[in-house]
Order: sequence, then structure tokens, then C-alpha cells
Amino acid sequence: MNWSAVVLSLRLAVSVAAILLVVGMPIAYWVTFSRWRWKFLVEAIVALPLVLPPTVLGYYILVGLGPRHFAGKLWQSWFGHTLPFTFGGLLAASVLYSLPFAVQPIAAGFDGVDRRLIEASWTLGASRLSTFFRVLLPLSMAGVVTGLVLSFAHTIGEFGVVLMVGGNIPGVTRTVSIDIYDQTQAANYDVANKTALVLLLFSFLVLAFIYGTSRRALGLWRRT
Amino acid sequence: MALEVAIEKQVDDFRLAVEFKADGAPVGLLGPSGSGKTMTLRAIAGLETPDRGRIVLDGRVLFDSDQRINVPARDRRVGVLFQSYALFPHMTVAENIAFGVRQLSSEERDRRVAEQLASGHVAHLASRYPATLSGGEQQRVALARALATSPAALLLDEPFSALDTHLRNALERQLRETLVSYGGSTLFVSHNLEEAYRVCSNLVVLAHGSVAARGPKEEIFRHPPALEVARVTGCRNFSRACRFADGRVEAIDWGCTLRVAQNFPKPPGHIAIRANHVRVRAWEASDAKNTENLFPCWLAATAEAPFRVTADLRIGTPPANPTDFHLQAEILKHEWESLRNVPQPWAVELAPDRLFLLPD
Repeated sequence: MNWSAVVLSLRLAVSVAAILLVVGMPIAYWVTFSRWRWKFLVEAIVALPLVLPPTVLGYYILVGLGPRHFAGKLWQSWFGHTLPFTFGGLLAASVLYSLPFAVQPIAAGFDGVDRRLIEASWTLGASRLSTFFRVLLPLSMAGVVTGLVLSFAHTIGEFGVVLMVGGNIPGVTRTVSIDIYDQTQAANYDVANKTALVLLLFSFLVLAFIYGTSRRALGLWRRT
Repeated sequence: MALEVAIEKQVDDFRLAVEFKADGAPVGLLGPSGSGKTMTLRAIAGLETPDRGRIVLDGRVLFDSDQRINVPARDRRVGVLFQSYALFPHMTVAENIAFGVRQLSSEERDRRVAEQLASGHVAHLASRYPATLSGGEQQRVALARALATSPAALLLDEPFSALDTHLRNALERQLRETLVSYGGSTLFVSHNLEEAYRVCSNLVVLAHGSVAARGPKEEIFRHPPALEVARVTGCRNFSRACRFADGRVEAIDWGCTLRVAQNFPKPPGHIAIRANHVRVRAWEASDAKNTENLFPCWLAATAEAPFRVTADLRIGTPPANPTDFHLQAEILKHEWESLRNVPQPWAVELAPDRLFLLPD
């Protein structure tokens, strides 16, 4: 049982979900409410990780973040090292890879809110920001929670991108899914089995907890 | 206290160009669906941007295309009662009412909410959620929420359209009382003319995106200035008209010549009479001599309401089928009971002072 891989995976998944909460909501808001005629291009880009093989995405991220390209150079000049094969690189790649899993449910949540409620909020003197936090967000909580849960779960389960960008450095970039692969390759079925089971149970519990609590929290004002 | 509106907006092939003023007394914005009522209301609230024009509320310019002024909805101090009420489903009644007064001190806020809960007769619902309220209760809460912000103008978008008839009457009376004590300008959008007539003292009638009539309601009902206006005010009997000499008019579609009392300087396009002004009685032998505005008629079809009957009548000859009629007459039930067994033709009388002419 490789506990450092488990901890690493959890750390990565929590960080990705947190970053996507902050990054995904403005993107989802823009996708939902923008009337720009070329909006579909942005939507297509956001959705790309859904269809691309992880290796293709991993390849571009690896090259893009590498020392020969602009983003990589910029990072190196600021922090003194390159991103690939570090936890930071893994995080950046995972955020990109899970972007549609956060943006799409959140955008669907926003889209499901009756526009007249938003307009009513404006006519009652609320600013756009205030309307967002007091009306839009509470009413699309199910979409936001789904987006968070999906990006968390997707990050725990990712394999291809992690291998391409992070490599397989114990304690730094060796996540649970890669550890299980390693153990299986080395015919350590007993260890692989245990790790896989822990991952399975943990994922199930987290999902069950979040769906259960959010359902109850959301259901309150529908019932009484 | 005045709201001045003069705006234009083109949406696909619909063109809105309205101009009117509302000062103090509630103004009814009347018109068939698709005439631009709701768009006008949304433009005043700041939810829709006109292409051109000016909106001024109590001397404050809310919109002016020349000066490039477009005050956002949140700063307009225009309260809106939406057709669907648009209550926030995740907030209690009290929280809904408090929504627009958050910036006030907590004592002032509590005072305002309590005041609105009481005057809207919804105090007993304060901790309930909107989903558990009836339509009438939701409407009262929505009105209380809009009034809590003490808006400079109040826009009511068909506030009774989603309610049962018996609820309407009670709520309408309550609304009239509320509007009397409310100090700002009120705009009442409706397609129900009786409702608008009861609530408002002045009317603006929209047709095809422009103002077809505006003024005191009695004036508009007595002398509708256009065919669309007459229709909106509930008139159902129209005929194309052509002027004869000595105050007579030929009603082309009705196939008769009529004397009219109205002094009408323009060439008439249509002649009209309200269904409740059409008199119907048994035909008497002496009627044949009296040809002025009195004609033999036959019944084509009827529609019965609890206290009245609408009779579709054809002048001159019996109808070929139930849809072959010239005029509709509204007859009280007890009169109808005695008339229905009288052999036809009946006599229909179109009194000269009840007939009115409309320009082309």
C-alpha cells in the first residue's frame, strides 16, 4: 500500500477542484450570458479535453510548458525551474484536462436559473456581483457541486496526462492510478488490489457524501 | 411625480415607437398581445435598451440616446411586478421583501419589512417559502417586495393574468387601495380593458408598436380615435362606412344606411357600435314604416353567459349558416327569455347617438 501516492492524488484532486471553482465559474458565467457571436469557438476549446486522447493533450502541455516555449520560459524566469515533472506542472495539466468537467455542469446550472429572477434582482437595486452571489449561485448550487465533484473524481482517475506531464516520480508526481499501474506491471497484485480498493471506497464515500448533503441542502426550500 | 417616455426600438420586423407621459394617477398601458406593452415596460425598467429616445422619471434622466445616458436597472428606482412574480425560491417571504433594502440599517430594514408584510396582508406568511404560497399570496409578496424599496415608479406587468377570477376581484381592490397611498408614478400593463378601466384613470392604447390613443379613460371609451382602439376597448361591431349627405352613413358590410348623431369632420373609414348598445325586440307591423336605424334581423347563433346572452344577428335576410352574421348584441338574460320564443324576424335598433365613426 503506497500511502504517499494516495496522499498525492488527494492533494492534487482537492487543489484542482479548488482552482476550477475559482476559474470555472467566471468561464461558465461568460459562456452562459455572453452574446458574442463567436462564443461557440470558446465553448469548443473548453470542451476539447473531452474528446482528445489524454496523450495528445499531455503532449501539448508538456511541450507548451517546457523551456522552449513562451509559457514555459515565463514560468522559468519567475520561479527558476520548469513545470514538467513537478507537482505544479501536474496541477496545471490537470486543471486544463478537467476544465470541461467543471465548466459544463456549472454553466448548465447557471442556464437553468430563470432569467426573470436575475432581472428582478437588478430592479431591486442589486449589482451584477451581488445578484451573482445572492440569486444565481444559490439557485445553481446543484450544477456547481456537480462540477466540483466531477473535476475531483476526474483528477483522481486520470492517468495519461499525468504520465505525460508528470512522469512517475515517487512522492512528487506518482499518483495512485500510476502506482496501481506500476504495481500491476511488477506483478504485485496484492498491493495493487489494496490500493485500488482504498481508492474505490474513498471515491465512493466522497461522492455519496457530497451528493447526499447537497441534495438535502438544496431540497430545503422546495419542501417547506 | 412624472414619468416621460419617448422611445424607439426595432426588433427584427417589429418596430416599437411609443411616446406618453404618466403623472401621479395610474396609467393603464393597454393593447393586444404583441403590441409592444411588455417591451415598453422593460425599457423603462432598464431591462431592454431602446435604439433611440428618452426616458425621464421625476426629472431624472434614465435614458437618453443623444446624451448617451443609460442608467442601469439597479439604479433606476423603478419597481417591477413581474407577470410571473419572479419571487426568489430560495428565500422566505420576509427575505424576499428584505432583498432590495439590504443597504439600510438593520432597524430600518426590519421596520420596512414589517410595514410591507402588514400592508400587503402577508405577515402570517413571513417565514414561508414561495413554492408553498398560492398565486394570490405570491402576487401580494411580489408587490410588497417591489414597494419595500420605495421606488419612484411602479410597473405592473399583467399582475392578475395568472389568477382565478374570484381571487382577481379581491386582489384588484387591494391593489387599488395600495396605489392610492403609493406616491410615485404607476404604469399598469394589461390586455383586459375592464381591469385597466377600474384601476387607472388614464389610458395609453398600443397597437402594432405605436400609441393608437392616450388620454382620460372615459374619453377613449366614448370616442375611440381608431379602429384598433375601439377593438381594444371591447367594441365588436364594425362595418366599412361611406358618407351620404345630411348626416347619413352607408354601412357597407351591414347593407344598410344609418343616421348618426356624431359630428365627424374626417371621411369615415368604419362605423361601429358596442354590443351592449344594440337594442333587439319583437318586430311589429308598424315597424315597416319606420325605416330610420331600425331593421328586421335574424338570429345566426348565440353564446350564453350566466347573466347575459350574446346574439349574432344578420340584418335584412335570414343567415345561411351560424357564422353568417352582421352584428353582435348583448342581451340581459331576462329579456332574452321573453325574446327567444318570438317568431323572427326581430327588430334591431342602432340608436344614432350610440353609433360612432372611425377614421381610416
